Amino acid sequence: MSNPTNPTQQPAAKANTAAPAPASPTPAQAQPPLPPAPEGMLNVFVDGILLHVKKGSTVMQACTLAAKEIPHFCYHDRLSIAGNCRMCLVEIEGMPKPIASCHWPAAEGMKIRTDSKLTAEARKGTMELLLINHPLDCPICDQGGECALQDQAVAYGSDRSHFHEFKRAVDDKDIGHKIKTVMTRCIHCTRCVRFATELAGVEEFGATGRGENMQIGTYVEQALQSELAGNMIDLCPVGALTSAPYAFTARPWELKRTSSVDLLDAVGTPVTVDTRAGQVMRVLPEECDEINEEWLTDAARFSYDALSTNRLTTPLIGGKPATWPQAFEAIKKALKSSTPATTAGLMGNLQSAEDAYAFKAFLTQTLGTQNLDSRPAGTLPNSAFLTTPLKSFDTAEAVLLIGCNPRLEAPLLNIRLRRAALKRRMPVYAIGTQMNLAYPHTHLGETPEALTQHATTFKAHAALQILISQSVLQRPDASAILAAAAKLGTVNILADTTGRTTTHSIGALPQGKGNGTSGILAAWQKGQLKTLFIHGEDTASAMDVKSGKGTLIYLGTHNTPLAKAADVVLPTAAWAEKSGLYMNGEGRLLGADQATLPPLNAKEDWKIYRALSAELGNPLPFNTLSQLRTLIAQANPAFAPANLGQITAAQRPEFRIPNSEFRLSTKPFTAPVEKYYLRNEYLKQSQTMHAIQAESGSANLGPQPGAPMPLPTKPAKPKGRGAAHA
Amino acid sequence: MSLPRLQPQDMCFPNLAGAGDWGIKGYQKRGGYEGLKALLQTAPKDHIEKLKQSSLRGRGGAGFPTGMKWSFMPQPAPDKPLTKPSYLVCNADEGEPGTCKDRDILRFDPHTLVEGMIVGCYCLNAKVGYIYVRGEYYDESSRLNQAIQEAYKAGFLGKNILGTGVDVDVHVHLGAGAYICGEETALLESLEGKKGQPRLKPPFPAGFGLYGCPTTINNVETIAQVPPILKNPLEWFTRWGRPGNSGTKIFSISGSVKNPINVEAPMSIPLRELIEEYAGGVTGGWSNLQAIIPGGSSTPMLNAEQSARVLMDFDALKAEGTGLGTAAIVVMNKQIDLLRVMTRISHFYHHESCGQCTPCREGVGWVHRLMERLSAGEGTPAELDQLYALTKKIEGRTICAFADGAMWPVQGTLKHFRNLLESRLNKGEAA
Ligand code: SF4
Ligand code: FES
Repeated sequence: MSNPTNPTQQPAAKANTAAPAPASPTPAQAQPPLPPAPEGMLNVFVDGILLHVKKGSTVMQACTLAAKEIPHFCYHDRLSIAGNCRMCLVEIEGMPKPIASCHWPAAEGMKIRTDSKLTAEARKGTMELLLINHPLDCPICDQGGECALQDQAVAYGSDRSHFHEFKRAVDDKDIGHKIKTVMTRCIHCTRCVRFATELAGVEEFGATGRGENMQIGTYVEQALQSELAGNMIDLCPVGALTSAPYAFTARPWELKRTSSVDLLDAVGTPVTVDTRAGQVMRVLPEECDEINEEWLTDAARFSYDALSTNRLTTPLIGGKPATWPQAFEAIKKALKSSTPATTAGLMGNLQSAEDAYAFKAFLTQTLGTQNLDSRPAGTLPNSAFLTTPLKSFDTAEAVLLIGCNPRLEAPLLNIRLRRAALKRRMPVYAIGTQMNLAYPHTHLGETPEALTQHATTFKAHAALQILISQSVLQRPDASAILAAAAKLGTVNILADTTGRTTTHSIGALPQGKGNGTSGILAAWQKGQLKTLFIHGEDTASAMDVKSGKGTLIYLGTHNTPLAKAADVVLPTAAWAEKSGLYMNGEGRLLGADQATLPPLNAKEDWKIYRALSAELGNPLPFNTLSQLRTLIAQANPAFAPANLGQITAAQRPEFRIPNSEFRLSTKPFTAPVEKYYLRNEYLKQSQTMHAIQAESGSANLGPQPGAPMPLPTKPAKPKGRGAAHA
Repeated sequence: MSLPRLQPQDMCFPNLAGAGDWGIKGYQKRGGYEGLKALLQTAPKDHIEKLKQSSLRGRGGAGFPTGMKWSFMPQPAPDKPLTKPSYLVCNADEGEPGTCKDRDILRFDPHTLVEGMIVGCYCLNAKVGYIYVRGEYYDESSRLNQAIQEAYKAGFLGKNILGTGVDVDVHVHLGAGAYICGEETALLESLEGKKGQPRLKPPFPAGFGLYGCPTTINNVETIAQVPPILKNPLEWFTRWGRPGNSGTKIFSISGSVKNPINVEAPMSIPLRELIEEYAGGVTGGWSNLQAIIPGGSSTPMLNAEQSARVLMDFDALKAEGTGLGTAAIVVMNKQIDLLRVMTRISHFYHHESCGQCTPCREGVGWVHRLMERLSAGEGTPAELDQLYALTKKIEGRTICAFADGAMWPVQGTLKHFRNLLESRLNKGEAA
């Protein structure tokens, strides 16, 4: 086509154009001149009310400031502006056409009308057009009750349609176990496409076809590979993309909402746990600019079926169901034959501050042992924390990853890194296995020696942020790596879970001369330990404890291999079933509420220690949760209620550089995470996670053979002499 | 009194009919590339100033003054060199129904465009120019490519052209068959390898265009007219047409005429004269005329009475409530089923909507279906009002002007030929 007559194509305003508002008022508007707005601000009228808005604001932002709701679908704060739904049209005085407020810049003296006839008609018109091909199948749609289209149709639409033709129908797409699609409902706002492209960095979602035949999908039908795909469900304003595991299970108005925390990585995303009749129906992210913005990883979103799978619901003795008194009796008997030196305790990676405090108090005070730990075997006695807050990575100068794959270890941190790497061209260097981070980075080698080889590259950056995976701390040359890294920039250690950093902050660590995890496990394997308490998973495995001779007491939520190996099993509450305080990877205190009750005979963890200590004749000094929390705050002021939501740097265990007599080894780093969706015992309990892992090839996730994406360079000189690439 | 016919020396496209040699030899024989060196040695500022005075207006439909458009592009100052490259993009995605002028330029006089690209790139400080040719013009694009190769060989393209120190490279890109890619920002998206969908404006391409760099997009005819305007005295161009509409223009005349033709004629020529003088007149005589689409399918129709008095230029047609568009004149005599034509045109828009904005994506198909139904006599007269109301829900509510262009013909039909529709509906009811 040659351009159809388009008055808006040119920047200069012609008499009848909708080009940017002329700064000078037309004679009809000639009024006493407005006093100039404060520096950097503009005078704008919204429905006749004078406002000052920041220069560069959009009309929609001005309206929001004036508390005028602007209906919209395609616009989203954290995505680029597409301006395609045309629901946000408003009238601007002096312009012939309504304009899309989501992208139109506010201008000095602009008079916006959200209450005019033209605005109302524009909204009504767009709404009618949105609905003509929409199936209007709300009664069978999972989005019903929380659907932007439904709400806005009621508020701004018409009560009847003039449409008497046939409706369009679109084939549903099978895109895996995460998202259920009903594509006829799609209103083509492209939020999902923009999320996949801009934030997740996986260009696997897009539009094909044009006009009425435009369809959203994965081009070639395949399972979504992004580890963040679930966010598209939240973004989709209609019921086109809905959660597959949640499909047809509940209606939003039946759900009880509880605030909680996702423990599965070090980000500690605040989440809402929705329950119905005591069952967790779904997990959604909450909004927090400092932590998760508003995203959630798929592992956290879709793994809640683990809460009702393979649970321990009653104490077990030798694998046989028993009552609590019987179980306590068995423990008492075992403890009779052991001394503090032959007793030890290990804590897993999904426990709360209360669990850790009670665990530590029980072992040190009631049993008097010094042998306890909550870190994986061999980990250096270092705090596993980010010394830089998550949000500060947005403005980092350069980042060096050592044995760390943020895309799999902390996908939400990876979003920040990706944005910085693409928008600001922040250099990202990586030492470790080859990986696909979804943004350009420079791979500098697989062994720690790269640290010294490329020292000049790193030294060119005044403020280099170094991210080291917690798993690196288990290497024999960990001290040397840390020492070398500390010379180059700020060292941040990325823990595997928020539970890990929580128990660490509480100090569930070896006391005095006591053994740490590797010492405890070695002693157990040699038969030197008489009693071993293991509370939770992923610090010790069933393999580690196979050969011991003493009594293994397991406290946990699921019937895992470790539980099966234990002599006595005490069922505890999983994360959604207890109130807990947590400290995420950056040292921020977070609180979770109890969303539901532990199943059957399972008990909250701290209550078990309290009861058991009383049984042993040496009761711990707390009877209620609030007493316990007071004690925690006394011992560890970072956990005081006033600190909720804060990073308490002063209270965080200090980062120590171990003495560095050791040499950097030539052993290559290993991949910190092999199977993202099955990376810990809890996730392995989830059927959904198994299904998702099975459909996730290594195409986009995980190590990828071949060269990493190169840094953007200048385009190559055109070769052919004017010859077309046609 | 009728205007004189243009002589070859008055024309920008003397070989438009394809009579002579399209290659570089023929072009040079007609005076092409003569004086190119001098043009490349004059300050771009002066060229742009002359273009402004010539009141050359965009030939692709919008009719925006070219000199003005070019003046929006950043020019380097001694103390402020340009930080980003600039681009000139030629829009040869000619898809507007009825329009076929660029095609004849590409196949019979491609060097006019090549020379225009050289001068244009020079004026806009662009080292690279792109010509986006619609995918269906495969043969034409091959010929264009040959012309470009010839120009490279002759030293008119490439590094240091004719020793002036000016570098220009020109690339041809073939589209994939979407009408919307003729919209300038959709064209840029497509050129960048993305889905051809118009961009939000602002920002405008002059500031943020191809690959985020300053870009000017012009029609084939516009670019090709630049060198003759600059080489000749101002008067050579401005003596034709009314003020603000000067120059010559290619008119594509098709439909119910004896001799459908692409012809270069002076601007502001009376429509009737144009048809009778150059196209052999309306089949069945002027009195047999029913309606005329004056500027490609997206411009509203003129009825016979309007057609008799209107002058073919931007302002005169605007005054009649339509537009010059691409000056593709489609003549319909009384034997034509006008409603079928209009239904076919709305089918075209239905097929070509890019699908980005709600009103257009959902609405254009609806309009087409209504047109089908109503023009076949199915429906009620009340639906005519609904159809009109519907076009008003689509027009002016979208990112680009496609939806406007799709609605205007329907509105034009309802305005001028509502009685036709009504009588059909009544017949339909009777049956
Ligand atoms: S699937 Fe949902 S989010 Fe994606 S374009 Fe359609 S309506 Fe928008
Ligand atoms: S929100 Fe502005 S067009 Fe969609």
